[in-house]
Amino acid sequence: MNISCNDRERIFLDGSAEEWAALEQHAAACPACAEEIRAWKALSTAAGELREYRADAALWAKIEQSLKEKEQRPRGWDRFWERLRLGGGLSLGWQTALAGALVLALAVWGVYVARYRTPAGTGQSRLLKNSALAEVERTEHDYMQAIDKLATEAKPELDSPSSPLMASYKEKLLVLDSAIGELRTEAGRNPSNAHLRYELLAMYQEKQQTLEDVLETKR
Amino acid sequence: MGTVGLTLHWEDRISTAASQGGRRVEPPETAARETRETNALSEDAAVAAGCLAGDLRAYERLYHLQGARMRNLARNLLGSPSDAEDAVQDTFLKVQRNIQSFRGQSAFVTWVFRILVNTCYDARRSRMRRKEQQPDDSEQAMPRREPRAPEAHPSLRMALERALGQLTRHQRDVFLLYEVEGFRHAEIAGMLEISETASKNTLFQAKKNLRGMLEPPRGAQAGVR
Repeated sequence: MNISCNDRERIFLDGSAEEWAALEQHAAACPACAEEIRAWKALSTAAGELREYRADAALWAKIEQSLKEKEQRPRGWDRFWERLRLGGGLSLGWQTALAGALVLALAVWGVYVARYRTPAGTGQSRLLKNSALAEVERTEHDYMQAIDKLATEAKPELDSPSSPLMASYKEKLLVLDSAIGELRTEAGRNPSNAHLRYELLAMYQEKQQTLEDVLETKR
Repeated sequence: MGTVGLTLHWEDRISTAASQGGRRVEPPETAARETRETNALSEDAAVAAGCLAGDLRAYERLYHLQGARMRNLARNLLGSPSDAEDAVQDTFLKVQRNIQSFRGQSAFVTWVFRILVNTCYDARRSRMRRKEQQPDDSEQAMPRREPRAPEAHPSLRMALERALGQLTRHQRDVFLLYEVEGFRHAEIAGMLEISETASKNTLFQAKKNLRGMLEPPRGAQAGVR
């Protein structure tokens, strides 16, 4: 194989084993190439200084513990606490979404508790009172708006997915939107049904988490 | 995108690199290597399936196979062993949380390392945000000192770390993944969502820049014949 100094950089970039052998043969009679090859190889050797592989059973024990804890916890909550813990660094969109979720969850929970603790509610415990219903609808509306903000942030990435992972997020969001649409229709027909509201809340939380994953992957 | 060889033990990769005198050239296919890679791929698929089924032993196997390499990469990206451990732990939790979205378009390990790299950059960003919020806290602002391996060459290592800090994010990622962690360009392309050619070009530029910073070319001798 005929190799000259002009081939050096090309071989450094993407040379085959044969080309490297030919370059080294050429370098035996070419001090300039010999020096360049030495310096190039020295970088790879130096990279070894950054390699420290040590088995660490203690780290695995920590990881295993947290994996177990997560497995036992409902999916949405860890995300919620994680975000809450990092709250100081969150963008306005995240904070709004979280605040909306919290208000909505508290409102629904409050209504639920009120119904179950009131003896009069025994027969219709799954139904929301008019005042509570208005509050749930208002907070639900705020929460939806917050999620819409997240969706706007994620839209460019979802419109033209740059990876299979992103395509699967898009697919999942379509399914979620369709489920949310159906539940909303159902809730529209039966607005006082707390069970439907819970299902809707779970869907919104799933959508929120998926959008967060999209934005996280994009970064 | 090629994905072979990802789950080879790191010892295998390093011995391959070393046998070529400090230069890595991706070797031609041989029957023995093909067999080894097939085994590695089966292991990768088995670990992925186990994780998908929620089997903690599969996560443990993943840690056994890749934990040291994950921690090393995170330490080089974050500059602190404790941050690196947090990043590895966080990566495992993200893998567990998002495992249902892994569709097998790449090797499982490629997917895991992609998450790790993103987690490290998230951690860097939050660290920078914290520093911005606590500008007067000199103890927080000081970079933590890095305990060294006894065999490491301190000045070379420090010089290299400093020089790596001057590279672009992509150049640093590719250099660390290729030269330090022993991944192939096809694998790196999958992790960083770039093409294989872009990975090669980036490595070339990274090494050229590093060379310029660490050892300026000897002008008179470096001419082209």
